[in-house]
Amino acid sequence: MNNCLLCETPIAQIPSWKALLALQKQTEICQDCSKEFQRADIKEEDPFLDQITSLYTYNEAMREYLHQYKFLQDVALASVFANELRVHLKGNETIVPIPMHPEKRIQRTFAHVDELLKSARIPFTPLLEKTGTEAMGEKSRAERIAMESLFKVKPGTAIQPGTYILVDDIYTTGTTLRHAATVLKEAGATRVEAVTLIRAEQ
Amino acid sequence: MTITFDPSVRDFLAGRIWLRLHTPFPTETIDAHIASEHIKTIQGIQSTKAFASQPQHFCNRCENDTQSRFTTFDCAKCEAPCTYCRHCLKMGRVSTCTELIVWNAAPPTYPTDHIIAWQGTLTPRQQQASEELTISTTKRIPHLIHAVCGSGKTEILFEPIHKLLTEGKRVCIAAPRVDVILELEPRLRAAFPQTAIEALYGGSESTTESAPQLILATTHQLYRFRHAFDAIFVDEADAFPYTAEETLRRAVRKAAKLDAPVHFVTATPSDKLLTDIKRTGQVSTIDRRYHGHPLPVPRCDTLWNYTKQIQKGKLPKKLANWTAERLKRQEPFLIFFHHIGLMEQAEPLFQQLDARIHAVHASHPDRKEHVQALRDKEVPGLLTTTILERGITIQNVQVAVVGAEQLIFNKGALIQIGGRVGRSAQHPTGDFVLFHHGITYAMDEAKKEIIQLNKGSVRT
Repeated sequence: MNNCLLCETPIAQIPSWKALLALQKQTEICQDCSKEFQRADIKEEDPFLDQITSLYTYNEAMREYLHQYKFLQDVALASVFANELRVHLKGNETIVPIPMHPEKRIQRTFAHVDELLKSARIPFTPLLEKTGTEAMGEKSRAERIAMESLFKVKPGTAIQPGTYILVDDIYTTGTTLRHAATVLKEAGATRVEAVTLIRAEQ
Repeated sequence: MTITFDPSVRDFLAGRIWLRLHTPFPTETIDAHIASEHIKTIQGIQSTKAFASQPQHFCNRCENDTQSRFTTFDCAKCEAPCTYCRHCLKMGRVSTCTELIVWNAAPPTYPTDHIIAWQGTLTPRQQQASEELTISTTKRIPHLIHAVCGSGKTEILFEPIHKLLTEGKRVCIAAPRVDVILELEPRLRAAFPQTAIEALYGGSESTTESAPQLILATTHQLYRFRHAFDAIFVDEADAFPYTAEETLRRAVRKAAKLDAPVHFVTATPSDKLLTDIKRTGQVSTIDRRYHGHPLPVPRCDTLWNYTKQIQKGKLPKKLANWTAERLKRQEPFLIFFHHIGLMEQAEPLFQQLDARIHAVHASHPDRKEHVQALRDKEVPGLLTTTILERGITIQNVQVAVVGAEQLIFNKGALIQIGGRVGRSAQHPTGDFVLFHHGITYAMDEAKKEIIQLNKGSVRT
């Protein structure tokens, strides 16, 4: 018996053979809270990215979730979407989280994308490094698109030809992902896809 | 210690336990006070490792020790496994590598000249309770004021609080509900015009202007106090979540100085509170309202299958008639629901009768405004969950409970809800109806207790 990570009410578990045999995935949030999140399930192509998948829309519940996770620093919330992320990231491709600037990471005490993957037990390879400290959220659309390269490949790592999947929490204008994809492709990647938890309205 | 310090830092921090990185002062100021030992730092989370078992965590701010409410992660700041408390997360995260600060030097001296501007007079029963409370405070033993709804509980506190203030002591009135604090604040500011008063609740503005001597706070806010008060008065001591959460009771105890008494004020004390207080302290009982009229006795009325009817988009006939009657007579009304979802389904149905009727619940964005609008007679009535069951006074209000058989409406809740009716001397009566789908013991007991209180034979 566990409590919902978001509203703290005990999660009612219906006894079933699946649960008894430990085949049923453990849920971290209750029915009522999970109903609040709205699936987007967007799959699309882009000149820079071979495929972009976004799982949820950016609604009120998601805004609150991100606030509690990133700004109140509630690391435990990383596991809320673990089951859903695992569905989309179970292949053999190399999974590359969008990195945070080291200073920013120390300030927040954790890298939010890395934690999402860790709690879903998805193996990932941090191949990229951030060049500046600016946060995307503080910039206008025009400023974002006009920016210089945001990322570079980590010194000392060679990019093998193959498929790479970038992972980020939210897709707004797509600038972050395009920058990251360009860097990877220039370094030798043949195919770069992306999975984001959230798709925000522009 | 002869090193100088900033008095505003002292006034703010005295009695508080605060996050080092979230004070209203510059970091350098805090660092200097720590260096001169005016401020002491405490580790946020304490973990004790017992042999061959999981480490046991303890939050030094909210005193939470439920292990499932802690999460450990790899911290990028302290580069080690770090544990944080999810219980008090919303007040700023406290983790192993977070430091809490407390004032470590002489506390401020509080002024001793305070005036009471309250002009009213106490009834003999109120007067007696007030005196008994003062005696208990002097003896430093806990005291319970068990007084029926609308008997003037707040006024009973004025004398004992005034006495404490004039002795230069620091006092806190705590309540589990923010509505109660919001209602108390203007009354106390009017009663003690010269006293530095601060009201604290989720979302209140914090000030650093003067050392607040009288603090009104939700019990949650007391997580951030430590050995601060010479007396604490817990108003509506039986309200949720105070009774349900062990950490809130600990927070109140922690906020009081070690030998300071914690008093309780309520109309519906739990059996546990009554027995606890009777063992260690004193009880004053008031079974009459200040205007001397009896409490309204609930009447039960059937409302079969109300859930289904509302879900089908139909307002049950009896409920519609009751509401129409109130609208016709222009009497303000409150209709209590047990479930937010059902209430929101019913809201548009009521709005067909009058478009100004609204529903309010704990996390409703316009809750404060809607309640104020009802007081100002701008809206004819409100639909509400149990958040408005206590602490609010609206002249001539009429009350209906929809689904009085639901578990959430226990004896205490029903008595409190009934206590909204007939509070003013001009309108000492009113309708208090329990619409139900079957009568429960709680409804019977509530009715029985109200009748007993009216007879003057109360259980003590």
